Amino acid sequence: MRIEKCWFCSSAVYPGHGIQFVRNDAKIFRFCRSKCHKNFKMKRNPRKVKWTKAYRRLHGKDMTQDSTFEFERRRNRPERYDRNVTENTLKAIKTIDKVRSRRESKHIERRKKGKKGQQMREAVKELEQSISLVKAPAILREDPSLTLPKIMVKVSQAQESQRMEE
Amino acid sequence: MAAGLASKWSRVGRSLLGGLGNNLSNLLTTSHEMACNNSLSQQQRTFIQMRTVLKVVDNSGAKKVMCIQALKGKKGARLGDTIVASVKEAHPNGKVKKGKVVYGVVVRAAMQRGRCDGSEVKFDDNAVVLVDKQGQPIGTRVFGPVPHELRKKKHVKILTLAGHIA
Repeated sequence: MRIEKCWFCSSAVYPGHGIQFVRNDAKIFRFCRSKCHKNFKMKRNPRKVKWTKAYRRLHGKDMTQDSTFEFERRRNRPERYDRNVTENTLKAIKTIDKVRSRRESKHIERRKKGKKGQQMREAVKELEQSISLVKAPAILREDPSLTLPKIMVKVSQAQESQRMEE
Repeated sequence: MAAGLASKWSRVGRSLLGGLGNNLSNLLTTSHEMACNNSLSQQQRTFIQMRTVLKVVDNSGAKKVMCIQALKGKKGARLGDTIVASVKEAHPNGKVKKGKVVYGVVVRAAMQRGRCDGSEVKFDDNAVVLVDKQGQPIGTRVFGPVPHELRKKKHVKILTLAGHIA
């Protein structure tokens, strides 16, 4: 028994679940549920559908490179049964899973943090650049309290005077 | 100063316009995709019944056969069933001539068929391998993928001739 991966959403296809489509060149497309099968029939690209694993990997939402992924690999050579090895593998699965979930949560945390800072910076920049759309530049020059106070602290007196001269 | 202001203005304007344009194009593409999907919606695949034309995927000489009787099942034949067919198209000097009545095993069917574990399998097209009354294949080669369920139906010879087993 083998737990396959869904062609569309890359989730696990357990035995007895889903449908598989065999193309005439003998390529097998496995689907975990009718949702994925229907999306395939609609000729959707899994890289462009937001809920699939492929999209999330492509857009840096999920962790892509990690040593824990190395354990989950397709092996076509059957392993000779050994009770000890099986026992150790079963133990290892739990720890590996724990490590991976921790790393994934950390990855998501890091990703969210980076986005927040960037958004803030972008917002500040936009405000700085296009405040003239809301208030005329002449008024701004007269009443500097309308601009961001942060920027007011940053800008030194000498620069201010220079800009006025221009 | 004036020049700087003008450039800022133009940049803002462009970004605004660009945003609008993107939104518009997105809308257009989505609607177009929807239309495509509606027109491309696939037909309901059903049993292989009387007057179903099937491709012949061996080197017996026939190209296309038309089903005239399913030997099992009230509604028609499915993947792995045997049918009686009449040859509609044939190669000029093959074993099987046009107009002959032949037996065939359905090796590929577009209608899905349940597997022993509960999952389902379906193929690209409807294809048949011609056999004699004893169930021995007439040709010596089989093209394309065939399902492993043929073993259960005692068509081991077809399985050994086939290149890909799905």
